[in-house]
Amino acid sequence: MTTFRLNGRDVTVDVPDDTPLLWVIRDEVGLTGTKFGCGIGMCGACTIHIGGRATRSCVTPVSAAEGADITTIEGIDPEGNHPVQQAWREIQVPQCGYCQSGQIMQAVSLLKDYPSPTDEEIDAVMAGSLCRCMTYIRIREAIKKAAANARGDASNG
Amino acid sequence: MIKRIAAAIVGIGVAGGVGFLAYAWYPAIAPVAPPPPSTFTAAQIERGRVLAAGGYCAECHTRTDGVRGVELAGDYKMDTPFGAIFSSNITPDPETGIGRWSEAAFKRAMRKGISRDGTQLFPAFPFDHFTHMTDEDIDAVYAFLMTRQPVHSVKRDNTVGFPFNIRLEQAGWKLLFLHEGPLKNNPKQDAEWNRGAYFAEGLSHCSACHTPRNLMGAEKASAPYDGAPVDNWIAPPLNDHNPTPVVWTEDEYFKYLRFGSAPLHGSAAGPMSPVVHGGLSEMPESDVHAIAHYLAEIDHSATRVSQDPKAIAWAMKASMKDLVGPQVNPNAKLYAGACAACHANAGPQPVEGRPDLALNNALWLDEPTNLFQVILRGIGTTEGISTVSMPSFYHSFSDADLARLATYLRATRTTLPPWTDLEKKAADVRKTLPAPPVASSH
Amino acid sequence: MGRLNRFRLGKDGRREQSTLSRRGFLVTSLGAGVMFGFARPASANQIFPLDKALPGDGAFEPTIWCSIAPDGEITVNIIRAEMGQHIGTALARIIADEMEADWSKVRINYVDTDPKWGLMVTGGSWSVWMTWDVFRQAGAATRTALVEEAARLLGTTPDKCTVANGIVTAGTKQISFGDIVAKGHPSHSFTPEEMAKLPLKPASERRLIGNAEIKALDIPAKTNGTAIYGIDVKVEGMVYARPKMPPTRYGSKVRSVDDTDAKKIKGYERYLIIEDPSEVVQGWVVVLAKTYSAAIRAADALKVEWTPGETIHTSEADIQDRGRELIKNKDGGVYIFNDDGVDQAFSGAHTVMEQEYTCASVLHYQLEPTNAVAFEKDGVYEIHAGNQWQSLILPTLAKALQVPESKVILRSYLLGGGFGRRLNGDYMIPAALASKALGGKPVKLILTRSDDMQFDSFRSPSVQRVRMAFDGSDRITGMDYQAAAGWPTGVMAEAFMEKGVDGKPYDQFAIAGGDHWYEVGAFRVRALRNDLAEKTFRPGWLRSVSPGWTSWGVECFLDEVAHRQKKDPAQFRLDLLTAQGRNKGEAPDSVGGALRQAAVVRRLMEKSNWGKTTLPKDTALGLATTAGQERGMPTWIGCVAQVHVDRSTGVVTCQKLTIVVDAGTVVDPDGAKAQTEGAALWGLSMVLFENTEIVNGLPVDRNLNTYTPLRIADTPEMDIEFLPSTEKPMGLGEPGTTVVGPAIGNAIFNAVGVRLRHMPVRPADVLRGLQGS
Repeated sequence: MTTFRLNGRDVTVDVPDDTPLLWVIRDEVGLTGTKFGCGIGMCGACTIHIGGRATRSCVTPVSAAEGADITTIEGIDPEGNHPVQQAWREIQVPQCGYCQSGQIMQAVSLLKDYPSPTDEEIDAVMAGSLCRCMTYIRIREAIKKAAANARGDASNG
Repeated sequence: MIKRIAAAIVGIGVAGGVGFLAYAWYPAIAPVAPPPPSTFTAAQIERGRVLAAGGYCAECHTRTDGVRGVELAGDYKMDTPFGAIFSSNITPDPETGIGRWSEAAFKRAMRKGISRDGTQLFPAFPFDHFTHMTDEDIDAVYAFLMTRQPVHSVKRDNTVGFPFNIRLEQAGWKLLFLHEGPLKNNPKQDAEWNRGAYFAEGLSHCSACHTPRNLMGAEKASAPYDGAPVDNWIAPPLNDHNPTPVVWTEDEYFKYLRFGSAPLHGSAAGPMSPVVHGGLSEMPESDVHAIAHYLAEIDHSATRVSQDPKAIAWAMKASMKDLVGPQVNPNAKLYAGACAACHANAGPQPVEGRPDLALNNALWLDEPTNLFQVILRGIGTTEGISTVSMPSFYHSFSDADLARLATYLRATRTTLPPWTDLEKKAADVRKTLPAPPVASSH
Repeated sequence: MGRLNRFRLGKDGRREQSTLSRRGFLVTSLGAGVMFGFARPASANQIFPLDKALPGDGAFEPTIWCSIAPDGEITVNIIRAEMGQHIGTALARIIADEMEADWSKVRINYVDTDPKWGLMVTGGSWSVWMTWDVFRQAGAATRTALVEEAARLLGTTPDKCTVANGIVTAGTKQISFGDIVAKGHPSHSFTPEEMAKLPLKPASERRLIGNAEIKALDIPAKTNGTAIYGIDVKVEGMVYARPKMPPTRYGSKVRSVDDTDAKKIKGYERYLIIEDPSEVVQGWVVVLAKTYSAAIRAADALKVEWTPGETIHTSEADIQDRGRELIKNKDGGVYIFNDDGVDQAFSGAHTVMEQEYTCASVLHYQLEPTNAVAFEKDGVYEIHAGNQWQSLILPTLAKALQVPESKVILRSYLLGGGFGRRLNGDYMIPAALASKALGGKPVKLILTRSDDMQFDSFRSPSVQRVRMAFDGSDRITGMDYQAAAGWPTGVMAEAFMEKGVDGKPYDQFAIAGGDHWYEVGAFRVRALRNDLAEKTFRPGWLRSVSPGWTSWGVECFLDEVAHRQKKDPAQFRLDLLTAQGRNKGEAPDSVGGALRQAAVVRRLMEKSNWGKTTLPKDTALGLATTAGQERGMPTWIGCVAQVHVDRSTGVVTCQKLTIVVDAGTVVDPDGAKAQTEGAALWGLSMVLFENTEIVNGLPVDRNLNTYTPLRIADTPEMDIEFLPSTEKPMGLGEPGTTVVGPAIGNAIFNAVGVRLRHMPVRPADVLRGLQGS
């Protein structure tokens, strides 16, 4: 049995200790916004927050999440209106959208560490988040937009 | 941490002679009726709880292989080159535990490594450190243990074969290496240093892992805190041979020992994790400060700290290497894709919670052991920086990939010569894991 | 109406799963006001915006393409797959604009398979181009019917009515579309012939088409975890499956299976040896388990021995050598062009230039690994999966299952990337067969990434031989273009192949782009089908199909000729883009012909300061231009790439891509830009970052530890411009891919004088070139 907190609720699951957290969240709990991409922690589609830090859930065993506070894309804002989500819609970032939960979770985490990120910081921290539709130009733009919105800068459109 | 201490049983050739036998022979101490809880004060029991945590009793007296045993009920398996040793049940069960041990019997075990029945204990039990504890503290630990729930649990038989199973041999070891009794106050040092020494050398037995051992399995007096392999990890040097670019200051030590992470060195993983979590984290903050103070003196951090700003500046530059702009080097791509999201740092200092690899112990040690251990196992939320977690890349990377990554990091995030024979070393570390930590897929 | 009801009932049947599964999961407490998230049943209708539902009874359905409900909500049925192009929004704009609908009331519904929809395919950048006329006509029909009924309700005649933004106005009286349906009985339905005759709005009156303010309806769901992809489908009682992959794509036979170790995995149920009557899937063993992680572990633990197929030792080099052999042989192949006088041009040439260009295998790596859920209910097999070409795989599924096509239905979901991978629905077959073997029980088959890459129907490696004949004054008198590759359409959709000038079928997606729009005198284009490639793997359609690699040969070669003739490569192209003969274009698809491509090149020269800019050492611009995907549907496009070459390492850095496009009318300006950004970066990825190689019959790369597609830091500055046009809209999903590779190849030559003829560009090849020069 492993117990953790997921989007503000306590969850206990009875699955083998080596079960990847990704499949616990998707198939046991039923939150499918977190995606399976590479299965080796190199595409970022499965990114969730553990203790507020972006973590690849496909290679994190559920046992490593004992007592953890976990947030998924469904939980970063009750209305889906986190500044990063808003910026993502304003800039029309997603194409197929499959990587975007992970991109957004990674971007939220990035902005905590670097509230006004430079291109270099964005490139370094977002390096692990693969987008096959290659929406990278918009990801950069939306991260900056979200940062500006969060700072309360005058809207540039 | 205990497994390698167990190797100490190799210790000794049999030293003959009546004199030796006289030295080695101890009488049994008569069994007593288990003392009722009222024997002890609440304050004493609480003090004992904290000390038992700081001495990591449960760590080696709780079974972890196969099934998770009841805490302190023993049967923890320690593999040695000569067979397995199983730890004893230290709950107050009269039949299978220490329920019939008097305070005197307990104290003799802690001080001299002699069981109640007079047999010699293997120095896998670090009595060579516990011996330095005060009577009052040993009594408190006794009070704590004797007020636990008794658990009837018979440990498995040791599989150590002849001649190493001759416990009398241990007596000779003690003759050479046991310095019985409380530590003397060092008047040249202040009270905090002495308090730190009391814990570090006694109860918390730091050098048991961080000092290399001689052929007889005893800590080398000539190389205190010089670092040593332990349980397929490396316990890094704690003296000024520690290779990390930034010195271990009292502040870094404190954060590490108290919270599991030193921002400029890395987090407590593997065998070091329980030392912090459920161990030193239970002790009063002032005692952990004292340990940090003492250890920082050992590595002469005060005399070396002036170089830190330069080292940090170098590391911060190295941290962003190859992450800015297009990249076609496959090893850099591997790092960027798998590691950089959490480990890249920009700016003048690493961001809290982004362990910087250019500063990390694991990259600066002589061998890649700890690096491979952490990559393969990951770090759970109850280890290292508690509340956060690092995934297990066990299935993500082949041994060749691990070798590529280690080569790349050593070359770009340190100034040290390359590691060698990395693919084999990766395979060796992989073999030490009992099972793949995560059922992921390639 | 009846149709809609039926449809709705069918969908209701799928709502049988609860939001949370029971197994091993309990919620122990819920803090007040905290959100768990929007857990939502998977496999709900694919309607966007997400808070909308299908219209209820009483909706007016003037054509199969849309309906108007009494509350005014307009549902547009989309038969194309949503894989990132926001196609539903683009198509809905077309119908809504013509209808004069209120955009805020429009929703899109991605439909399941039904014969009434006709050809369901999403590829080739065709969707807007194919739907443009149909949807404008359907919109006009809807408007006509609504206005007729509005006139009746308002007591006037249709010619007295105007219509705008969902409101019909006659003098001082007004009525909304919803009220027309609620209060009246619009009943006029139209035959296709009638629809084709309806008058359409002029371009100047369009409000939604070309409107940059409109946002894609599917995007909000893609920012909060509510978008449902095939992999998110959950059906009551389903078991999870993972394949155990055979050592060759074809011909491997299972010799023995030992599940002793698999049985030790908690949750493992059993394995199945898949026998596929359609022969698409060969040598598979499928592992079934209660959870997917158990299926992963059990498949790893299962021991299977195969007798491998004959391609067990085939390498990429073997396949390319076979391609060279086919090109060398005068017999065989199919002629797309074979003008009189080609042989004379070469035999009488003063000089002949000839080069060979090669391109490596490229994997799709669509981010959602292929997967499908299959089950049988009341004699009908339901396959739930994201797919790009339902019409193609449905008959194959029927054959595999040995049931009539009417007994198979495909349910549509969002695609976690298409890029052509999901044009080939082969991954549905083992799911369907596993379900059949279990008596129709629901099976969810997911390929892990390494399974997916091993099973990919990837882009075939290719060989191009390009020859040009010149007379004594260096005028081009003839061109001979030949290319050999595996033919995806030949393997998977034979009936879909086009006919060459010799009447023989050929795969247009394995030669298109070779048939360029330049004036080159007598022109021959010959396509060769690489049989060894097709024996070894299942060649796939990959974003931009052949123009993604034929452009490497054609456009690099043109630069080589220009340099030899000491002409500016851009001007050299302009001189050849004169729109003579077959290149003058025809209505409605290629009005203006090659002159439009020339206009793109001219604008590109202006934008990039072509020939007027001084760049640092070892840094240069390179240009390439194509007609996009197919001659029949040209998207005129050009790219100037700015690269820097590091002489010490051979590393090529792309600093900037400038792109100009004439795609006719642009329906969705922001989406068009997004598609071109993505397509161009895909092109950049293939030339500088990603490729694989066949080793022992299979692609050697199985995951991101060695497969290295472009990531964010690799992304250069981009400047994209669409030329204004009111011509018929062409495709945009792929053309951006076609121009980047050769633009980079040409820029490298301009920077350091090294001509590379193999794609991808590898630092070692650059270094070799530098040492040789």
